[in-house]
Amino acid sequence: MSFISDFRAKWQEYRRPGYYEEFDYAWTMTVDLDRCTGCGACVTACQAENNTPIVGEDAYAKGRQMQWIRIERYWEGEFPDIKLRFIPMLCQQCDAAPCETVCPVSATYHNQDGLNAQVYNRCIGTRSCAVYCPYEVRYFNYNNHHWDSPLDQQLNPDVSVREKGVMEKCTFCIQRIRQAKDHAKDDNRRRVRDGEVQPACVQTCSSEALVFGNRLDPESQVSASMNDPRAYHVLEELNTDPSVVYLKKVDANVG
Amino acid sequence: MLMSAEPREISFAEVNDDVVRSLVVTGRGYYVTLATSVAVMFACFLFPWSFQLYYGLGASGINHPGVWGTYLASFIFWIGLSHSGTLLSCVLHITNSSWRKAMYRSAEAMTLFSLLVAATMVMVHVGRPWFIHWTVPYPNQMEMWPNFRSPLMFDVMAVTTYLTGSTIFIYMGTIPDFAAVRDRTAGWRHNMYVLLSLGWRGTDTEWHRLHWAYTFLAVLIVPLAVSVHSIVSWDFALSIVPALHQTIFAPYFVVGAIYSGTAGIVTVMFMLRKYMGFGHYITKLHFDNLGKLLLVLSLLWTYINVVELFTGWYSGASTEYEALGYRLFGFYAPLYWEMILFCAVAPLILISKRFRTSFVPMLVLSILINIGMYTERFLIVATSLPRQYLPDAWGHYIPSMVEISIMVGSLAMFVTLFLLFVKIFPSVSIYEVKETFPEPEPDDSPGSAAVSDNGVT
Amino acid sequence: MATNVVGLFHAPSSALAAAGELKDAGFTTPELISPIPIEGVEKVLGKKKSVIKRFTFFGAICGGLSGFALAAGTSVLFPHPTGGRPIIAIPPYLIITYELTILFGILATVLGFFISSRFPAIRERVYVPEAAVDKFVVTVVCEDSEHSKRADAILRNAGAEEVREMTEDG
Repeated sequence: MSFISDFRAKWQEYRRPGYYEEFDYAWTMTVDLDRCTGCGACVTACQAENNTPIVGEDAYAKGRQMQWIRIERYWEGEFPDIKLRFIPMLCQQCDAAPCETVCPVSATYHNQDGLNAQVYNRCIGTRSCAVYCPYEVRYFNYNNHHWDSPLDQQLNPDVSVREKGVMEKCTFCIQRIRQAKDHAKDDNRRRVRDGEVQPACVQTCSSEALVFGNRLDPESQVSASMNDPRAYHVLEELNTDPSVVYLKKVDANVG
Repeated sequence: MLMSAEPREISFAEVNDDVVRSLVVTGRGYYVTLATSVAVMFACFLFPWSFQLYYGLGASGINHPGVWGTYLASFIFWIGLSHSGTLLSCVLHITNSSWRKAMYRSAEAMTLFSLLVAATMVMVHVGRPWFIHWTVPYPNQMEMWPNFRSPLMFDVMAVTTYLTGSTIFIYMGTIPDFAAVRDRTAGWRHNMYVLLSLGWRGTDTEWHRLHWAYTFLAVLIVPLAVSVHSIVSWDFALSIVPALHQTIFAPYFVVGAIYSGTAGIVTVMFMLRKYMGFGHYITKLHFDNLGKLLLVLSLLWTYINVVELFTGWYSGASTEYEALGYRLFGFYAPLYWEMILFCAVAPLILISKRFRTSFVPMLVLSILINIGMYTERFLIVATSLPRQYLPDAWGHYIPSMVEISIMVGSLAMFVTLFLLFVKIFPSVSIYEVKETFPEPEPDDSPGSAAVSDNGVT
Repeated sequence: MATNVVGLFHAPSSALAAAGELKDAGFTTPELISPIPIEGVEKVLGKKKSVIKRFTFFGAICGGLSGFALAAGTSVLFPHPTGGRPIIAIPPYLIITYELTILFGILATVLGFFISSRFPAIRERVYVPEAAVDKFVVTVVCEDSEHSKRADAILRNAGAEEVREMTEDG
C-alpha cells in the first residue's frame, strides 16, 4: 500500500506550517543600535545598488519616498533636553510574513533561504501587502521613473528597473546572495562562507552596526550577535518571526 | 395588504399597459438624461482613468503609507449598495411578504449594476490592471495559479459568484414578464423578448417549476450575500493593522451594506415613481416599510459602532487607543462626525410615520445616509493605514482630483446602466404586482378588478 | 387530427373548476395558462413532482468538491509557501469551497429549471396572448370532433367567456 503511505507523507508535507523542513541558508541581519550613528550611508548604498528611483522633492513631500531601508527618528523630551533615537528599518524578512499570505497572484513568497522574495513580473499592484506589513517597509511605484543623465549610467545591471504599478522592497540584496552561491558552486560545491556575501547596506556601514550572515551556521558572526542579551525583535508581539535582530542601545543616563 | 396612494381601480390589463408603455414610450427627457449621464461617465471616469493608466497611480492621492484610497472605498461602497437589492428580495421572498412585489425588480437591477461598477473600481484600483486576469484560476503556460489563501482571492470568488447569482436571479424572475411584453411589442424589441422569454407560456407546470427554482435560488443567495460582504470586510480584518484587525468587521460590513443598499432602494424607488409613471405601484406603503427597515438598520449600525468604540477604549491598548483617537479627533474628525450625524442621528426621524410616508423627505434622507456610508468606508481606509504601529511611518492621505472625479464618474456609469435597464427590462414585475391584487371573482364584470381597502395577496 | 380546445375565463377559480371537470370527464390532463400562478392547482390536477431539487443538491455537492479540489489542487501543483502557513491551509480553502458550492448550486438549479420546463421552447405550442394579461385559460387535447364538442360544452358550462379550437404546429 505504498500509495497510501505516499499520500500520507505528501499530506504531512503539505500540512506543515511554512512548508520547508529547514532552510538552506537562513539569512539574518543584526542591527546594533549602540553603534548606529544614523548617518544614512546604508540608505544611499541601497539606492545605488538596487536602482531605487530618486523621486524628487515634490514626490517626497507627497509621501511617495522610495527607501528600501529608512532611518526612523523618534524625538523625546523638550528642548534643551531633547533626545533623538533612530532605528534603521528595513524589510524584516519575516518567517511568518503577513504580507505573503495576502497577495492574490502569489507575487511574494518565502524562498528556501528564508527570504521574503518579491516577483516584480507577477505583481499586479493591489498593494495589499503594503497594508498588511506592520513595519511598513514595502514601497509602491506610483509612476515610471527616469534617471537624469548621468545618473542613468550608475544603474546596477544585476538588478531590474521596476515599472509603474509594481511593489518593491528590500531583498537582502538577493542578487549578491545569488552571485555568492554561484561562486561557491563553481568553487567545488562548497557552502557560502560567513562574510562572503554582504548586502550593500552592510558593506557600507562605517560603524559596523550592521552584520549579515547565516544564522544556521553556529560559527557565523551573526549567530554570535543574535545571542547578545540586548537582542530583540521589533514588534515581537505580532508573531511575525522576523529575520532582523536589533541590539538595544545602552543608555548611560538610565538608572 | 396593499393600499394605493391614489384610490383608483387598477385592472390586470392596465398593469401590462403601464409597463409596456414605460418600455416603449420614450420622451425627450429620457434621452437628455441618458446623454448627460454618458457624457459625465466619459469625462469623469474614462478620461481620468486613461490618464492614470498612462501615468501610473501617482495620479491619485495615495502615498506611503496610505496605499489604499478612495478607489477601494468606492469598491466597498458599490458592493455594499449591491447588497440590498438581491439579498432583500430573497429574504422577503422566503418570508412571503407582499410589499416587495412592486419594487424588487429594480432593486435587483440595482444590485447587478452596483456589482459591475464595483468590478470596474477594482480595475482602477490596482497598479497594473492589464494583468488582472491573473487572479482568475486558469491553466496557463506559466503554470502559475492564484494564491487561494489570500483574502483578495476570496473576494474574487465571492463577487463572481454573487454577480452570476444576481444575474441569474433577476433573469429568472423576469421570464414571465418578457413573455407578457413580447406579445405587445414589435420589431427589434419583439425579437429580443422572444429570445429572452424562452417560449414561456404560463402553464401551471411552468409556474410550479419557476416557483421552486426561484425559491431555491433565493435560499442559496441569502447566505451567499452575507458571505460576500463578510469576505470584503476580511480584506481589512485579516490584516494586523490596529484599527482594522477586529472581529466585528464582518457583521459591521454586512449591516452597513444592507443599510446603504436599502437607502439606495429608496432613492431608486423615488426616481421610478416620478419619472416612469409607476405612482400607483410604488406607494406610501412601500416607503413606510422601507423606512421602518432603514430605522432598524440604522439602530443596528449605531450599536455596532458603539461596541467598537467601547471595546477599543476599554482595552486601553495603546494602538487601539491611538487609532480611535485619530478617527474621532484627528485630521478627519469633521468627516467622522458628519458620518455619525447622517447615519446615526438623522435616521432617528424615521420613527415618525408622517416622515416615512412623505416621498421627498425620504429621498433626501436616503441620499444623506449614502453620503454618510461612503464617508464611513472612506474613513476605514484613510484613518487606519496612515496610523499603524511605527509612529515614524505615519502619514496623511488626501484624495486627488482624479480620484474624486472617478467616483463621480462611477456614479454616472451606474445611472447609465440603470437608464438602459428601464428601457429593456420591465422595471416593475407585472405578474407579481397582479398577485397583490384581489383575485378576480366569477361574478365580476369582465375587464376590471376593484382594489379595496382589504386587498388580498 | 388532434386539436386543442381552449377556454378563456375571467376568474381563476372558474378556470380551475373547469379543468377539474374536464379531468373527471376523462380527458387527458388539461393545462392551465395564466398570467399569475393559480392557487390550488395541485389539489385539482394532481401533485407535481419537482426534479429541480435534485439538480440543486447534486450541483451543490459537485461545487463543494470542486471548490476544495481547485484550491488544494492548484496549491499542490504550484507549492508556494507564504506567511508560515501550510500549503494546504484549511480555513481559507473552506471559504473557496463554500463559494463554489453556492455557485454550482445556482447554476444547477437553473439547468434543472430549463430541463424540466423544456426551455427554450423550440416547438410551437398552444398559446393565447390574453393569458399573459388578464385571462385564465384552460386547454385540453381532443382527438376528434366529438370530444371537442363535449369539451366545448363543459367549458361553456363552467363559465368560459370564449372557447376556441387551435392546432399545434409541428
